[in-house]
Amino acid sequence: MRNVVRILTLALLVAGDDRAAAGEGRGAFAPVRAILVEKCLVCHGNDADDLQGNYDLRTRAAALRGGESGQPAIMPGKPDESPLLRAVAWQDDALQMPPKENDRLSAEQIDTLRRWIVAGAQWEAPAATAAGPARSADGWASEPGGVRIATSGGLSNDWDARLYDSDAVWAYRPIRRPEVPTHATHPIDAFLLEKLRARGIDGFAPPANSTTLARRAAFDLTGLPPAGGVSEEEAFSETIQRLLESPHYGERQAQHWLDVVRYADTAGFSNDFERPHAWRYRDYVIRSFQADKPFDQFIREQLAGDELDSQDPELLIATGYLRMGPWEHTGMTVAAVTRQQYLDDVTHQVGVSLLGQGLRCASCHDHKFDPLPTKDYYRMQAIFAPVQFAQRSAEFLPSENVRHFAEARAQVQARLDRVLAAQEALKQKNKEAIAAFLAERGVKSLDEIPAGERPKADYLGGTFGLTKTDLSLRKIQQKSRMYLERELQRFEPAALAVYSGPPNGYTSLKPLYAVPAKPKGTVQVVNILTGGALESPSEAVSPGVLSAMAGSNEALAPSAWNTIPSDSSGRRLALAQWIASSHNTLTARVIVNRVWQQHFGRGLVATPNNFGKMGARPTHPELLDWLATWLIDRGWSLQRLHTLIMTSAAYQQSSQRPDMDKLQAIDARNDLLAWFPPRRLSAEEIRDAMLLASGELNRAAGGPGVYPEMNWEVALQPRHIMGSVAPAYLPSRTPAERNRRTIYAFRIRTLPDPLLEVFNRPGSEASCERRDETTVTPQVFALFNSEQAANRALAMAARLQREHASEEPRLAAAFQLVYGREISPAEQARCLAHLTKMTAHHRAHPPTPTELPTSVRRGMVEELTGEMVYWDEDLSPLKDYQRDLLPWQVQPEVRALADVCLVLLNSNEFLYVR
Amino acid sequence: MFADSSSVSRRNFLYGLSVGLGAAALNMLLQADESSPPVAAVGPLAAQPQHHVARAKACIFLFMEGGPSHLDTFDPKPKLADLHMQEFTRQDKFASAMSSGKRYYVKSPFEFHQAGESGLWMCDRFEHLAKVADELCVYKGLQVDSVDHPTACYQMNTGNRFGGDPAFGAWTTYGLGTENQNLPAFVVLPEGAYPQGGAANWSNGFLPAHFQGTPLRSGGSPILDLAPAYGATRTAQRANLDLLAELNQADQARNPHHAEVAARMEAYELAFRMQAEVPGILDLAQESQQTLDLYGVGQEGTDSFGRRCLLARKLVERGVRFVQLFEGGWDSHDYIERAHTQRIRAIDQPMAALLADLKRLGLLESTLVVWGGEFGRSPDNGVRGGANVAGRDHNARAMALWLAGGGVQGGRVVGATDELGATAVETVHHVRDLHATLLHLLGLSDNKLTYFHEGRFKQLSQVGGKLIKELLA
Repeated sequence: MRNVVRILTLALLVAGDDRAAAGEGRGAFAPVRAILVEKCLVCHGNDADDLQGNYDLRTRAAALRGGESGQPAIMPGKPDESPLLRAVAWQDDALQMPPKENDRLSAEQIDTLRRWIVAGAQWEAPAATAAGPARSADGWASEPGGVRIATSGGLSNDWDARLYDSDAVWAYRPIRRPEVPTHATHPIDAFLLEKLRARGIDGFAPPANSTTLARRAAFDLTGLPPAGGVSEEEAFSETIQRLLESPHYGERQAQHWLDVVRYADTAGFSNDFERPHAWRYRDYVIRSFQADKPFDQFIREQLAGDELDSQDPELLIATGYLRMGPWEHTGMTVAAVTRQQYLDDVTHQVGVSLLGQGLRCASCHDHKFDPLPTKDYYRMQAIFAPVQFAQRSAEFLPSENVRHFAEARAQVQARLDRVLAAQEALKQKNKEAIAAFLAERGVKSLDEIPAGERPKADYLGGTFGLTKTDLSLRKIQQKSRMYLERELQRFEPAALAVYSGPPNGYTSLKPLYAVPAKPKGTVQVVNILTGGALESPSEAVSPGVLSAMAGSNEALAPSAWNTIPSDSSGRRLALAQWIASSHNTLTARVIVNRVWQQHFGRGLVATPNNFGKMGARPTHPELLDWLATWLIDRGWSLQRLHTLIMTSAAYQQSSQRPDMDKLQAIDARNDLLAWFPPRRLSAEEIRDAMLLASGELNRAAGGPGVYPEMNWEVALQPRHIMGSVAPAYLPSRTPAERNRRTIYAFRIRTLPDPLLEVFNRPGSEASCERRDETTVTPQVFALFNSEQAANRALAMAARLQREHASEEPRLAAAFQLVYGREISPAEQARCLAHLTKMTAHHRAHPPTPTELPTSVRRGMVEELTGEMVYWDEDLSPLKDYQRDLLPWQVQPEVRALADVCLVLLNSNEFLYVR
Repeated sequence: MFADSSSVSRRNFLYGLSVGLGAAALNMLLQADESSPPVAAVGPLAAQPQHHVARAKACIFLFMEGGPSHLDTFDPKPKLADLHMQEFTRQDKFASAMSSGKRYYVKSPFEFHQAGESGLWMCDRFEHLAKVADELCVYKGLQVDSVDHPTACYQMNTGNRFGGDPAFGAWTTYGLGTENQNLPAFVVLPEGAYPQGGAANWSNGFLPAHFQGTPLRSGGSPILDLAPAYGATRTAQRANLDLLAELNQADQARNPHHAEVAARMEAYELAFRMQAEVPGILDLAQESQQTLDLYGVGQEGTDSFGRRCLLARKLVERGVRFVQLFEGGWDSHDYIERAHTQRIRAIDQPMAALLADLKRLGLLESTLVVWGGEFGRSPDNGVRGGANVAGRDHNARAMALWLAGGGVQGGRVVGATDELGATAVETVHHVRDLHATLLHLLGLSDNKLTYFHEGRFKQLSQVGGKLIKELLA
């Protein structure tokens, strides 16, 4: 019955009010209503109990009456005397509305209000009339003022009645199949040239030279420079194919996806505990791209792998997607709060990552700009209400790297054993103190001492006889133990996964290692939370999809595609089918756009996580749609999409052209792609390319995270974790283990590697849609001064020294390794001179050897005493640590060559792809 | 040396940088007077005009991680002495994970005195702060959303409980730029250990990386890798930089329409200069013994915080906009008497010295000093082991912080908590309002200081905050 009422209401709303609708005319209310809904009602009407300034804009009488000032806000016919108009025009300093600078009304909107007040400020409630406007194929009603969209229903009639600019809701309309223009044989070029020529630009820049193009293609597809230089014989299409087949293709593509889903190996917040099996999800993503898994299948597996087949390890691993966000629940947090935090996070994240539509805005109010009612937000959330966390048993797959488990486990165990021994020592100290105490009292047993005077026992023995420092150490040891025991879990065959069912009491301190055989309780019911507040639940909702999307409103036209079952199991699978569908107007556009961005630096939609009104409009909407349908028609193969893009003249053009000054005046942002947009290497590409140049890169794939060397001060920097301090970051023991590709580095949320962070590796709290490329001075310290950079340069020099007999071929090889091109005679002369000069310098200035610490002095404020406590953390694993090649181990000539290498690795020609 | 760039002289190369940071550096490199801090004319960190006239031009935030107890510092509650160790049962299921079940009221172990001409109440452990009490404006009306350390820290420092957003200091430097291009605009001075939640507490979030907080380290290199690895000499570095500059110039000549590379070339010269100058700026050995004594440097208990307070003063003096000190250990669930005694002792003399020293130098008027933690503490406790180990649990609904300098009128109390100190009842504001107010004091309008990200103009207060007018009086 409730649904019937809703449908009727919707029908009435869709039918609209034709007096208002007809009103393009002077003083009409419809455009005024649109302004009020967009700009005013959030504070002046949506929440009747919390009207800002006690001013209510829901009815004409209240709107005229004004708020707490006691003055009328609107004087019909007298705009200049109406405080409302003065406020929105920011005429007086005292009252400026809306208060946020960026929300200010446009001149046009102010004029609309002015004309409305001049005409008497008439008000019309949204009401039904017999003859509604025509409904288009997507179920939307087109009216002179815009389109009206029937959704599952907003929190207010005003929101339901609002009209949208057709152009602002483009992404919710069906994907079209545009005709390809005839300017070129390659469809991409044809679409781009159409726009270029319309702006008076003849065509693309000249083709890039083969060196530039080879470097561009290799970094784009594999994140590494071209292997072995450029082959003149190989056609570029063959180059693309070779790169797609390279095992490094999957790693590079996965990096983009892991940015979007916020991959990390730890959980964040207080304890920042390890997620021992997160690495299996990382490798799943790499495998999926490497195998060119159809993207729609990739979506289904991540959203609902467990519902597809709960026995398939690969599918359980895939659901790690649903657990990528930072999340923690401990004794200090409130279960209902952390649960809601998860539900909010996963709801928003699915929207952002797969649909290019952030949803969080709608958790408190109907979306201010997009056709996204709060109800839809909670309907989407209800899909995830049965999601429960578990480390589910999942056998290792033949494709997973478990080769060095025994050795790696032994290292962790050794570290754990030392902690256990330290704990035992304190227990022993306590025991001895008690024995001495008994001796002093002249008794044999504690039983002979009155209860009140006995030393107390606890879960770690007892505290009697221990010093203040010992007491702190007890906590620190216990925490280290928890960390290391968790670390051992990574070698166990389990997946960071989920299942559907009633709440299971999962906490970060006590994770669950099996799905309960007999689940107790009922699946959580999701209510609309008024203002997003857990304390204010209102209407309960059933699971549903985004109702504004063309064809997705199940109240108007129910179908298997747009309907989510209410059973506890199967909700996510139904969502996955809705998302991974050619009917979904967002999914294909969103992924096509992400791939485009990988090659051109910016998407056709410049905001890949936001296809809504406040996102960017597509620069080439026809091309975007054409590519989306092209992808769907080809079974969602991303490799084919890469090939299509890279075979275009647009991709192969130079980043420089002679008439650039003229073009800058026409299209400074290069929206039209009249030249190829250069980009700086990402943080991971910088590190990986340095390792490749130095010959140190270990190309092994997959497996638990490794620990590259990072700045030692940061590695040993103490970090507060709940009530304690985290153990030191210890780099992996051998260079081979450390020098894996960066994607395999263990990622700690609260301890970013400074070298990577400074080159704009994003934090792992929020989804990253696009890497920043800022230039800041600390980058110089990291790349020109750090030991890590110096070590790469030195290893590279040693390699050149080893592989070539004299200085000239060494320099030639250095340029080839770093730039992928030949050295020029002038460059060679200059570098030879530098070598001579620096060799002399290094002869006169031998380096001073350094030692690694075997322990580190730690200090923290002990919360039980308020005093600083100091102790030495044992770093004995560093005793058999194999350091990189170091300056005092080589001749001055090699150190001089390392100077040249360091300079090359800091140069712009290395750092930019053009 | 290379044919296509041989005509580019060093001076021309500098003058050629008319975009981005280039001109900033030019300005700096050409400065004859080295003692005045170099000010950038353009670029993301160029000094910017305030949105409105305000006295504060810089901020020092003394962040007390762990949640200092308002009840045992600035908010005396005699009523608790009457109720001491009386049992009651709390019902509020969202207040705190720890606050349910059987609870006991706990009185403050400290005596309270009135200090200064204004008669501000503070606990008797504040011996030095009492002498500058008339500079303090204590605020007792603040409430936050979270009772969990990292989320509450994130909220206080970034506005967003879940992290990932720009820190207060990042927003401030985004709004005001900096007056010294040789130093980071936003400096963080952690204690030995990083706070819970880590570096996300001073993140630039979605703002460009220029606005990220830079932790200066107490030992080792003050800025990471400020000195070149393995003791490379300045001569060697200069030679390498010259080769780099030549390679980059040749590259630029081949790619004349790639503006970004100019800024990067520039950054290397700036870095080279910074590594010569910064250690001197940060060197406390240049301070007189009298100053060191004032801050408690070299004295047991106060040395660590004293050093950082003195450094904060030096940085602000040099044009740094925002300095944030982190001082942990306030999470006194047990033994609050001895723990808070020690914590107060560690900060009392240094922060009193900071206020006095800023005033002596005429900097207090233009420097906003803020003291506070991520939340307050509860008037009650689920006492473990009897009254002598009594402490307090977390409390998001009542806390105390104080402001000083920066045009804030001192010797005042704004807001109040109820008679038990359980919840704020007067001039009650959410943390978003505090953020808007602090920005206002720095001449910035929260509503104007926005950055477009993920489809909306974001701001420190998240959804807009109201000014706490009483603090501005």
